Amino acid sequence: MQTLQQPRLEAGEQEFVDQVITDRKGRPGALLGILEAVQEHHPHKYLPMATLDYIAAKTGVPLSRVFSVATFYSLFNLKAQGDNTICICRGTACHTRGSRNLLQSARLSLGLGLEDISEEDKVLLTTEDGKFTVRTVACFGQCALAPVVEVNQKIRGHVNERTLQREIETIERESE
Amino acid sequence: MARIQDIAAFNAARETGLEKLMPTVPRITVGMGTCGRGNGAEGLYHAFAAAIDRSGMDVVLAGVGCFGSCYCEPIVSVRLPNHPLVMMKKVGANDAGRILQDLATGNVTPEFVFCRIEEWDHITGHLRYGNGYPEVPLWNEVPFFKGQQKLVLRNCGFINPDDIEEYFGIGGYQALYKVLIEGRPETVIEQIKASKLRGRGGAGYLTGNKWEFMAKAKSDQKYVICNADEGDPGAYMNRNEIESDPHSLLEGMIIGGYVTGATEGIVYIRAEYPLAVRRLQRAIEQAREYGMLGENIFGRGFNFNIEIVEGAGAFVCGEETALIASLEGHAGRPRPRPPFPAQKGLRGKPTNINNVETWYNVAPIVTRGAPWFTGIGSAKSSGTKVISLVGKVQNTGLVEMPLGTPLKTYIYDVGGGGVDGRQVKSVQTGGPSGGCIPQDMFDTPVDYESLAQLGSIMGSGGMVVMDEANCMVDVARYFIEFTHSESCGKCVPCRVGLNKSLRILNRMTEGAATPHHIELLDDLSRYIRECSLCGLGQSAPNPVLTTLRHFKNEFEDHILARRCEAGVCEELALSPCENSCPLHMDIPRYLQLYKEQRFDDAFMAVIMDNPLPSSTGRVCQHPCESRCRRKTLDEPVNMREVHRFIGDTMLLSDKFEEAAARVAARKLDPTGRKIAVVGAGPAGLSAAFYLSLLGHDVTVYDDKPEAGGMLAFALPEYRLPKAVLRREIELIERTGVKFVLNTRVGPDISLNELDDRYDSVFLSFGTWKEAAPPREPGTNLKGVYPALHFLESVARGETVQLGRRVVVIGGGNAAIDSARTAIRTGAEATVIYRRERKDMPAIAEETHSAKEEGAKFVFLATPHRIIGDDQGRVKSIEVVKTRLGEFDSSGRRKPISTGEIQRFDCDAVIFAIGESVDIELAQSAGLKLSHSGTIEVNRYSLASSRPKFYAGGDVVTGASNVSGAMSYGKLAARSIDRQMMEADRWKTAMPDFQFDMTAPDAASESRRNRGRELDAALRAKSEDEVVAMLSHEETLDECQRCLRCDLSVANAT
Repeated sequence: MQTLQQPRLEAGEQEFVDQVITDRKGRPGALLGILEAVQEHHPHKYLPMATLDYIAAKTGVPLSRVFSVATFYSLFNLKAQGDNTICICRGTACHTRGSRNLLQSARLSLGLGLEDISEEDKVLLTTEDGKFTVRTVACFGQCALAPVVEVNQKIRGHVNERTLQREIETIERESE
Repeated sequence: MARIQDIAAFNAARETGLEKLMPTVPRITVGMGTCGRGNGAEGLYHAFAAAIDRSGMDVVLAGVGCFGSCYCEPIVSVRLPNHPLVMMKKVGANDAGRILQDLATGNVTPEFVFCRIEEWDHITGHLRYGNGYPEVPLWNEVPFFKGQQKLVLRNCGFINPDDIEEYFGIGGYQALYKVLIEGRPETVIEQIKASKLRGRGGAGYLTGNKWEFMAKAKSDQKYVICNADEGDPGAYMNRNEIESDPHSLLEGMIIGGYVTGATEGIVYIRAEYPLAVRRLQRAIEQAREYGMLGENIFGRGFNFNIEIVEGAGAFVCGEETALIASLEGHAGRPRPRPPFPAQKGLRGKPTNINNVETWYNVAPIVTRGAPWFTGIGSAKSSGTKVISLVGKVQNTGLVEMPLGTPLKTYIYDVGGGGVDGRQVKSVQTGGPSGGCIPQDMFDTPVDYESLAQLGSIMGSGGMVVMDEANCMVDVARYFIEFTHSESCGKCVPCRVGLNKSLRILNRMTEGAATPHHIELLDDLSRYIRECSLCGLGQSAPNPVLTTLRHFKNEFEDHILARRCEAGVCEELALSPCENSCPLHMDIPRYLQLYKEQRFDDAFMAVIMDNPLPSSTGRVCQHPCESRCRRKTLDEPVNMREVHRFIGDTMLLSDKFEEAAARVAARKLDPTGRKIAVVGAGPAGLSAAFYLSLLGHDVTVYDDKPEAGGMLAFALPEYRLPKAVLRREIELIERTGVKFVLNTRVGPDISLNELDDRYDSVFLSFGTWKEAAPPREPGTNLKGVYPALHFLESVARGETVQLGRRVVVIGGGNAAIDSARTAIRTGAEATVIYRRERKDMPAIAEETHSAKEEGAKFVFLATPHRIIGDDQGRVKSIEVVKTRLGEFDSSGRRKPISTGEIQRFDCDAVIFAIGESVDIELAQSAGLKLSHSGTIEVNRYSLASSRPKFYAGGDVVTGASNVSGAMSYGKLAARSIDRQMMEADRWKTAMPDFQFDMTAPDAASESRRNRGRELDAALRAKSEDEVVAMLSHEETLDECQRCLRCDLSVANAT
């Protein structure tokens, strides 16, 4: 029965996804690996719905399950990430050394609101202009450097509100 | 490189590795773990490479893993042939050239030297580096490493993780070789069973038993899995182990695979650990290349492969059935057991899952045998455990100790105690599944059973130290927020229960909870624990249950007093300064009012928050400064000097009458209630002031000829001029307070009489008795004084004949006041204290000033005996030198006598070793006393065991300080009023001001303004006040430095 149209992606993208699927098919943890590689490859580090559709069709895994996996794990994003990512570690060591204030001050200085999001599954906020994403991670495992913030994939240790502010200002200056 | 199939090739590879590790030329290594990199190790490595290039020297440079002492990264090791390996700490890229130069001349640059290693037991091999550098401490002489036994971390920081040959060099893969050549898997399983190795992931299940189940399961396909999904926040040993020594993991897994009959291994590792993933990937490739993985390993017909799967950030995947679901391409939700994975695991095949660290113990046990392993650790928990020691402790890092080592060894001996001189309050072990253990239980040995008894768990070995600045309610809330968001949602108790728990905890931290919530939270936690499907839910309530058990008073503070003493819960504080002020002065308010040049309002705001603004402005311990956010920019705002200035300008000028009238005008209508206050010290004065403003008829009794208590009779004139205090008391009198002086409650008027005549009685008669009269011989000689008597005599204007040389015993404010007062009589003063300078309870500025005025200090000494002359006068004092031993319950090291005696000639000795409550009076009144000899009261109402009687200040806390005592007076007034009037009328008596509520655009550039001190030489000869007041301009400038934390997030809405 061939009633549904086969989803398609842009040529270069589709080629990449096909290759990733071929490399991993049948191996343990294949779906995780595919989604990780495809997200990492996307310039905005996320999984568009069309891509999930395509992966489901190509791997034969029901879309419901692909979607379930993509929404279950905190690493996966279903929305485009900002050009710059500030990832604040919310591990215990960082928490005892004031990481919540860092999160608040990053949100404050980027105009990302301050409503309580403690009941949300994860913190992931992107500015309207798409320049910044502020997110958290359960723990970077850099506890001896607490509090830790990752700014565009670079780990910064012993951060305080002031140094974080400077990092943001530097990025803003450089992107102008 | 061809695949190694025989012993000759194997030995050759080992030789090559050894040559790399112990070359005939110097070798330099840089610790390149993630923590090293986070501290600039990469730049340092390149700097060394460039320096070596420039010098043309023949030096081997290698990147290695982490040696565990993360607090002194980046770590470098240097070694000359036949010399010890020398570890260096905190090396910067600029230092590379110098270190290399020194090495060329056979020296190790002293300023970076950390420790030396003459030989190292890699368990699978032994390297002897050489002897020398006796001036450099051996590695296990350094406090951080003392007592550590590196089994799991045996290779970390020594070998290059990207080079399999270095791993061969330290005896790597020999255990595997032995197991495969012997070809008797069942003996290996027996060995693991005999070793009593327990799973290092948390549950502590016996590894050998698990292996046996798996070996017995019959199937064409079996899997072994390494759980490296280290999702436990606060623990990072697995990351470090893999980054530093990936081959030990592989070797353990290959052996495990062989003996349990598996053909495939999987490492499920966090994607958040990119460096570990990369190094492990490289290790797998090299192991394949050298024939440690793949087909027909060592020609023994055993085929085995290992794959990496990157976990995508789900804490629940640490649960083995969830991990398997994840590998099968599902959301990581657990399923009920049985069937256990050893029967039906990945793809329905028998599967064995062990934690990273468990695998690291395999090769050592195979090499050295089970009896060796059980010889380490405690009876039920053999071996070692790597602990990640982090949080509020000085030395952070990875600590590997035999199981059964007490907690205090980790926190104090290895960790060096709290940071910034703050006291450690608790330690959290086991992450979100574990619990908080209070400081008084730090004798507990760290093993599976002991921690479980306290409601915590070993878990993966996270140990997060917390101090006074951490709120335990917030900590409980933090963990529930975590487990709540990590709950997979499959079972109701966990999904809904944790959500409810989080909501209750949110209410508590917001001050919106009721006492009923404590009970509810406790019940709910027990249901979640009993009813959840998997380990996540079953253990998630542990942080709540342990904090409720061990820190209940903090929960009560949040609910009953709406206070968070640690200052963490923002909704419960106006600002950090307000929260840390014992009187809870609205500091940003008076700073802003003054800034707006509304001087009358500023004064009113100050005096209604603190009836002794000028006195406290001089002598308060200013805890407000310790939490001032301005400190992160430059220095804290000088809040104390500002309210001193505001107080002085009104109280000491012709504006006094007008100011006093305005304060008195605020008085509520007379209530007709009569209240007696016993003791006219800071606590009594404060209570009287507020009670009078609330409309009551207040009489204060004191046995001294003047009101003021310690402020009048123990504080010397040069710190607090009596004229200032008298004005403040006069203002209190103007509100209608009556003083009955020279009247001692007890002999002159009995407490029963007060009971008859008054509606309520507030007891605040302080601590005027010596804590314990000194027992040293000679204390009855002429010239020996208790500090308070001495200070009081001087305050009364009596002449005390001290003589030329005075020795003061003690380290508190009374000791410093005595020394400085003695100096003003023309004497030389020496202060003798049994601990170190940093342990002194006295205000640091006072100690500093005393030193400037010529006081001498002798630390680490305690009196032995006082020697008199033939007229019975003090001639000299002998002291015993002390050294600091174990940590006591105050978190400071206990002074221990060394037996070494030192003699000081002197003419007088002043003992300032603490004061206590006059117990007889309290007892005669039928008041219940605490075991420390103070009056017992309800913490929130200050009601004593006797109806109508309240108590506060030093009689409740023991000797403390002015603002602390005043806070009791303030609280008592509110509580007594509420009790008598059956309503909370406090707010109606307090003024309300409108003022600018916008935060400054930018922090003011000004530096802290301080009161100028008189020249030390001048002031030592004078009774004049030593610290001058700020000027109006300086005060204004200081007000502008405030960052207005009162406008912070919590108060914005």
